[in-house]
Amino acid sequence: MASARHLGLGDLLGAGVRGVSRYTGTVLAVFVVQSLVAAGCMFAVASVLAQTFAHLPMFDEAVDGSLAALLWCLRHGSSSFLAIGGLLLGAVVLWELASWFLVGGLCGVFARHPEGRADTARCFGAAGAATYLRYARLAPCSIPGYVAVAILFALGMSVAAPRIEHALTLPQLLGPLVLGALPALLVLHLLWTVSDHARVELTLRHETHDPGVVRAYLRAFGFVLRRPLTLVHTGVGWLLFLLVTTAYAYLAQGHPMYGAEGAITLFFVRQGVALLRMAIKIGILAGQVELGRTRPPPPRVEPKTSAAD
Amino acid sequence: MKAVKRPGVVALALALTLGGGACSRDPGTPRVRPLPKPDGSPALRGGGAPRSPRNASYTIEATLDPANHQIKAKQTLHWTNTGETPVDTLPFHLYLNAFKNEKSLLMRSARGELRNIKVNDHGWGWIDVTSVKVGTAELGGRFKIAPLPPELVPPPPEGESHTAPDDAIEDETVAELQLLEPVPAGGKLDVELEFTAQLPEVVARTGYKGEFHLVGQWFPKVGVRLGPPGAERWECQPMHANTEFFSDFGVYDVSITVPSTYVVAATGVLVSATEAAGGTRTFKYQAQDVHDFAWMADPYMEVMSGQAKVEDGTVEVRVVHRPDQRAFARRHLQAGIGAIEKFSAAYLPYPWPIMTIVDPPPEAMFTAGGMEYPTLITTAGDSALSRPGIRLPEMTTVHEIGHNWFQGILASNEPMEAWLDEGVNEWADAKVLSDLYGPRTSAIDWMGWQAEYAALRDAIADDPASIPSPIASTGFAFVDSRAYFKQSYATTMRALRTLEQDVGPSRFAAAMKAYARAWAFRHPTGSDLIQSLSTTLGQDLSWFFVPVFQEVGGLKLGVHTASCTRAHKPRGVFGAGSARTRVSATDAPDTGTYVCEVVITNTGSWRVPVDVALKFADDPSPLRLQWAEREGGSHWKRFVVKRSTQLTEVIIDPERKISLDSPVEHHYRLEGDGAAALRAGAWFGGAAQTLMQLVGL
Repeated sequence: MASARHLGLGDLLGAGVRGVSRYTGTVLAVFVVQSLVAAGCMFAVASVLAQTFAHLPMFDEAVDGSLAALLWCLRHGSSSFLAIGGLLLGAVVLWELASWFLVGGLCGVFARHPEGRADTARCFGAAGAATYLRYARLAPCSIPGYVAVAILFALGMSVAAPRIEHALTLPQLLGPLVLGALPALLVLHLLWTVSDHARVELTLRHETHDPGVVRAYLRAFGFVLRRPLTLVHTGVGWLLFLLVTTAYAYLAQGHPMYGAEGAITLFFVRQGVALLRMAIKIGILAGQVELGRTRPPPPRVEPKTSAAD
Repeated sequence: MKAVKRPGVVALALALTLGGGACSRDPGTPRVRPLPKPDGSPALRGGGAPRSPRNASYTIEATLDPANHQIKAKQTLHWTNTGETPVDTLPFHLYLNAFKNEKSLLMRSARGELRNIKVNDHGWGWIDVTSVKVGTAELGGRFKIAPLPPELVPPPPEGESHTAPDDAIEDETVAELQLLEPVPAGGKLDVELEFTAQLPEVVARTGYKGEFHLVGQWFPKVGVRLGPPGAERWECQPMHANTEFFSDFGVYDVSITVPSTYVVAATGVLVSATEAAGGTRTFKYQAQDVHDFAWMADPYMEVMSGQAKVEDGTVEVRVVHRPDQRAFARRHLQAGIGAIEKFSAAYLPYPWPIMTIVDPPPEAMFTAGGMEYPTLITTAGDSALSRPGIRLPEMTTVHEIGHNWFQGILASNEPMEAWLDEGVNEWADAKVLSDLYGPRTSAIDWMGWQAEYAALRDAIADDPASIPSPIASTGFAFVDSRAYFKQSYATTMRALRTLEQDVGPSRFAAAMKAYARAWAFRHPTGSDLIQSLSTTLGQDLSWFFVPVFQEVGGLKLGVHTASCTRAHKPRGVFGAGSARTRVSATDAPDTGTYVCEVVITNTGSWRVPVDVALKFADDPSPLRLQWAEREGGSHWKRFVVKRSTQLTEVIIDPERKISLDSPVEHHYRLEGDGAAALRAGAWFGGAAQTLMQLVGL
């Protein structure tokens, strides 16, 4: 095992690439689950919209890019769009709950390096199941941090608002916007990185050291603050995520996809983008596991014994 | 220590970037500009005879104190009694007093804020008339604030017998001068006034923001005498949140003295510019056949100009802007040139040699921008979000320039009939924008999204039936400012577009041109417009104007039912007794013909003729029908059609002539098609997946 201080950014990124390429099937399986949730969301939304608009061709005009038609349709079907908002929220919450299991499974796989599909599946399932409730208990630990993020965001925006209001150019608009949001984003980045490393520790050490959730979170906090590499590593992941998304948005601009075939094409093109982004996220997770294995284990909690024993 | 210092450095950098970022737009120290040359052109293009009665002309000498945002001025009103009755009282507008305190009618009716801006503690404005002379007689003691008309005095709160003094409106926007002797019919009168005008920090149409000064409605302006000969009355309404301005035509000779560092733009033409004492300059302007005079002073502005070609010559279009708004100034200039040319061709040529477009600095954009004065307008829309193709700047410029016809030349009474300039102008703007930027892209052509100006206005407009004030309400009578804006602007435009499509666009355009030429440089009323249109079009338009402009209501068209059945000979039992026969489905099988029944409804109270198109399977040409629902009759119409193929679509108003109703339910297809829903679903599914990946794995 390499020493923690000897692992650099290249090692972590390399571990990510190795992890994703070695467990391609696992990555694809996780992605299929996500695609199913997204597809379910797509069909549910389509169903709601079809209920309202299947007989009204103005919606076709709206989807084809007529802004006036879109505004009319938004007014006509406001309750449908409210329902769609609920569906999207539901899908995101569902995925967040599923993510705890999937991340646990992936951490287990990257930690134990099982061989073969059957072993990998068993390892994935066992790790995911074993850590699910711990991950669930870990989630509230971030709530105070999220409150701080919200406050920082509000403060940043209030400082940036006068500049944004009178911005004449995109740099004048985006500069204050980004800078106003930056403190909140940095803290959010810190919180998410801490959560990631706490999860890694809960996965790696739950059998041997049974670390408490709060203790794991606090240890991860200290670890991340001591090792800025962790922030850089996850930051690289988010940067790649952003690049892929921006590149897609840029390339997709001005390419309308009409009709049902267009809908299917759109869905599959977006799945390609989503797969790439998921591979990036899983690669980062693999790197975090690699780093987590080098961390000193938490103090072992001795089982309590009664005097009678 | 380093760890401690770093956050401080970061915080400092952020603070400088965010808070001190205004420095990036700091225009620097004002500098003395070269003295501008006179425009060298007559105040009316080509000179010529007066176009208007010129019965209220002004000579004004004004000096701006930019540090205190104050103007000291001497003014002579040259007034002619064009009526047939003598006049012993002159009413004057003192508009700046609308910004004096929270007891003014403007502030009360605006509930303390205008254009979503509240007046600052230091930002109040007022006007003090310190001397009034007729001849050598000082009449200051006879110049008194006029009481509010009784109909504008709100009743006391429910259950109370009187309004508490603090809650009462004390408006000072109209003053009356009791003359020593009446002015006889046809008589002339010169009234000399001295006044100090304190500009407000701009919240609406006039005032200062930093060193930018927009000086509008700033001098005592005499009212207008209206009414039939022998029964004239004064029209001089107090300033209200829902009213604008109304005044007589005249000649304005105005001298403006400002510090030498200031750039000035004003109504009319620059006659001379001279250096004056104390590092100041005096600019003399003259404007003819205008009914108002506004000006702008700012030390940082620069000018961009171009030429508009009109029927009988050219018009110089100038955009006055700050240096960092140069890119937007180009857009305003292009829109301004196009607007001058299109409005001139459609109605009558722009009569003045110069049009000045003031592009206020961003911090004053919302409050000072978007206002019309003769030959000078303020525009708006300069924003990072106004990307090329998002034509908010162009729309504002075209609208305000359009006002030089609909209110500038056709000087209607804005407080009493706001729709006659705002709404008619909106209707005309839609046509000009469509000509300039294409019919599908006149408002937006950006990132694959397109929108036509009128269609976009329709889509964001309220249902007229939801507004409890008819279009033709006086400004004071609207239930609130939202109703005033919606009815005076959008609903009027939608109504005129509907009428235009009913009578035919080219005929309607000719009728509007005839109206504009007949009433140019006069004070037309709504009745005059309707009468003029009716005469030119050769039809009584009261079937449309009475309900749509004078009554609360709306249109609500829809497809009630649409279905087809196979045609066959009648089945059942026929005859009686021994002659009774039974015809079964076998005896009378379905034929190849379909009987299709469509019921169209209008659950609104307004009536317009409605075209209906029915599309049938395998038949590319739809069947055209009409429901001539113009005056009364049923609220529904049943169409029964026999065809060899199934009905597939019902389209109410296929050419989209009717702008007064939501078109979503005008087009109905019998067989549902979920392709668009699926495509939108794919978009939402993709968005959901991006969100999932942001918060989860």
